[in-house]
Amino acid sequence: MLAQEFEKAGLSTVVVTMMPYWAEKLGVPRTLGVEFPFGHAFGMPNDREMQMAVIRAALALLEEADAPGASRDLDLEWPQPSDEARKDWQPLEPSPIIKMMRDQAQARAQVRHSEA
Amino acid sequence: MPVDSFKFLPRSIAAYYQTLVVQKADPIPWTPLAKPVSEARFSLVTTAGIYVKDVEQPFDAEREKREPMWGDPTYRRIPRDVRQDQIGASHLHINHRDLLEDVNTVLPVNRLAKLEAEGVIGSLAPTSYSFMGFQPNTTEWREHYGPEVAGMLKDEAVDAVLLAPA
Repeated sequence: MLAQEFEKAGLSTVVVTMMPYWAEKLGVPRTLGVEFPFGHAFGMPNDREMQMAVIRAALALLEEADAPGASRDLDLEWPQPSDEARKDWQPLEPSPIIKMMRDQAQARAQVRHSEA
Repeated sequence: MPVDSFKFLPRSIAAYYQTLVVQKADPIPWTPLAKPVSEARFSLVTTAGIYVKDVEQPFDAEREKREPMWGDPTYRRIPRDVRQDQIGASHLHINHRDLLEDVNTVLPVNRLAKLEAEGVIGSLAPTSYSFMGFQPNTTEWREHYGPEVAGMLKDEAVDAVLLAPA
């Protein structure tokens, strides 16, 4: 979304994202997909080699993409087991919207219970 | 192997994402790269909700706690020579541990500086930018803050931007 505004203003962009699915739906100008947990688009902390591999792939896409909507996936596996990684990126406390959705689901369950 | 966008998402959130309908940009805005990467000036944009402590304010997480369908649409400036211990984070949807250990996981300023020194890129601009990515309503981004940051990037003669949603 920001990338689209930047392109309109005359800037070339690459979006490095863990959700290329979403980027495709929005119409992102250039997308590099990474199969990494949220909050880690450029890789593991302090892993310079991994971070550089992501950046170099983004630069290559920038230089080679010749049409809007260009998309490429980086073939680099996240080094942590996925169950662990799925937990690790999430906030220690559930976000306000998740809390709200849980409370609403609980309230609905209680209504069903009292109606039964 | 194609990237699985839902690999690290809890099932409930993945299901929610798959039901969302969005309008695809048509045409997709496009600026061809004006010069080779080795001559281009770069900047970085993250949506990890980071800010420079004691220089700018955190994103407004308190209001989001009161209004869970609202996300702070403003942005923060991150200078290229920022020190790791200056980085703060106010994003209620991700764990901050790894980016507080190494900001390069979301905004690789140190890596781009290295690539500048090696001559791989032309240069890294003085300023990069941070947003907070939880935006149920993107109107402010599209109409106000996005174009505003684009203008500041142009003021620093930036050619290309690497953006990373958190």
